Amino acid sequence: MEYLGLALLLVAMLGLSILLISLNYILGPKTPEKMQDYPYECGVPLYDKSAQSTFHQGYYLLGLLLLLFDIEAAFLFPWTVVYRYLGIFGFIEMLLFVLILTYGLAYAWRKGALDWQFEEERF
Amino acid sequence: MIAVILIKVLIIVALVLGLGAFLTLVERKFAGHVQRRPGPMVVGWHGLLQPLADGLKLITKEDLFPSMGNRILYNLAIILALVPAALVFAVIPFGPEFSIGSISVKPILTDVNVGLLLVFAFGSMAVFAIALAGWASNSKYALIGSMRKAGIVISYEVVITFAVMGPIILAGTLSTYEIVQNQIQQKLWYIWVQPIAFIVYLFAMLAETGRVPFDIQEAEAELVTGFTVEYGGMKFGLFPLVEWYVEVLSLSAIAVVLFLGGWSPINIPFIGFVDPLFFLGPFSGFVWFILKLSALFLLTLWIHWTLPRYRIDQITQIAWSVMLPLTLVNLVLTAIIAPLIWR
Repeated sequence: MEYLGLALLLVAMLGLSILLISLNYILGPKTPEKMQDYPYECGVPLYDKSAQSTFHQGYYLLGLLLLLFDIEAAFLFPWTVVYRYLGIFGFIEMLLFVLILTYGLAYAWRKGALDWQFEEERF
Repeated sequence: MIAVILIKVLIIVALVLGLGAFLTLVERKFAGHVQRRPGPMVVGWHGLLQPLADGLKLITKEDLFPSMGNRILYNLAIILALVPAALVFAVIPFGPEFSIGSISVKPILTDVNVGLLLVFAFGSMAVFAIALAGWASNSKYALIGSMRKAGIVISYEVVITFAVMGPIILAGTLSTYEIVQNQIQQKLWYIWVQPIAFIVYLFAMLAETGRVPFDIQEAEAELVTGFTVEYGGMKFGLFPLVEWYVEVLSLSAIAVVLFLGGWSPINIPFIGFVDPLFFLGPFSGFVWFILKLSALFLLTLWIHWTLPRYRIDQITQIAWSVMLPLTLVNLVLTAIIAPLIWR
């Protein structure tokens, strides 16, 4: 029942965003020209019309790190809520968990996952 | 009951669009005065109608679409940017519970016990919008910009998640309304015992919303506004609206709830609250909330119009090697001092 408001807001925002997206199609002028939908670059005809073939590999590393640490964060959330009732046992348990996390971070750091931008310059 | 919910939904939609649009004027005025020029002055009194003129201009542009792109993903990116950013407002408590006649109203749309989890669930949806926007445009600048921004958002997503754990330990709940109530009961704004978490949260907020010094996805000089470069008209207008205003507002509101005691007046730690606005009666809570929110928003603007920007690898480096260890240390320290604060 509490989520009714959230659902209503979701429906309202979905409708609104679809309206806002179609506004330009409804109200805007339509004067098609040959080059107007050409991908934007510095004005020279493109050598490779698709940009999707090239992107930096390093972002993949960041994604891996996110997967690791965000899942750990998801494990810690329930602990934060009930920590009040766990006492010293909860504290030691959390400390071990955070130490393992820190070790994981140190490992990734040592492996060079954090300076992902310039890996080719080391050769 | 339904009527109350509908009114709340209307208020939030109006807040997202109306206030978001109006804040563009605030930002331009502020930027103008930072740079010692008056800002917009022509449309209306001191440029007061400028957002309206901008909106009219945006919706009467031609509907363009990059020829190499993917039309479905291109439009889906806008929906994914706007909808989750607005949904965050559903769990923000704007003030204390009040009653009109016999109906008692909580000024929060969905008061659930997983409020903060919802905030982070919706917050991490932003990365899909950005990655899709760059990918679907199929233009090199757009793709580079979106990849950079996605890298920043996922780095700071981790940091912000660990940063908010301190206040959650102290409050012992994930419900935003109860976090504020616990701060009032304990007579303590959590910023007094969580300064590290607060500062890290502010940095992460700037990074997630693409504000300077972390606005490398825009980088006008090199990427000509990054992932929005192939968007035109209102479709373009929605991205800055969401990133720079709606998300800054929602994350500032969460910061106010977590660290600055929500609607409570000025706090002296462990002693009590001093309310210079007592003459406003029941409205004082709402005024305090709006004051704190505007203070954080203006701080963001101040930083934005003062500092230069970092490089992308520096930004992610700071996130992983400075901010994340800081939040882990803060987590352990909080766990140690928490029993003193519960009492």
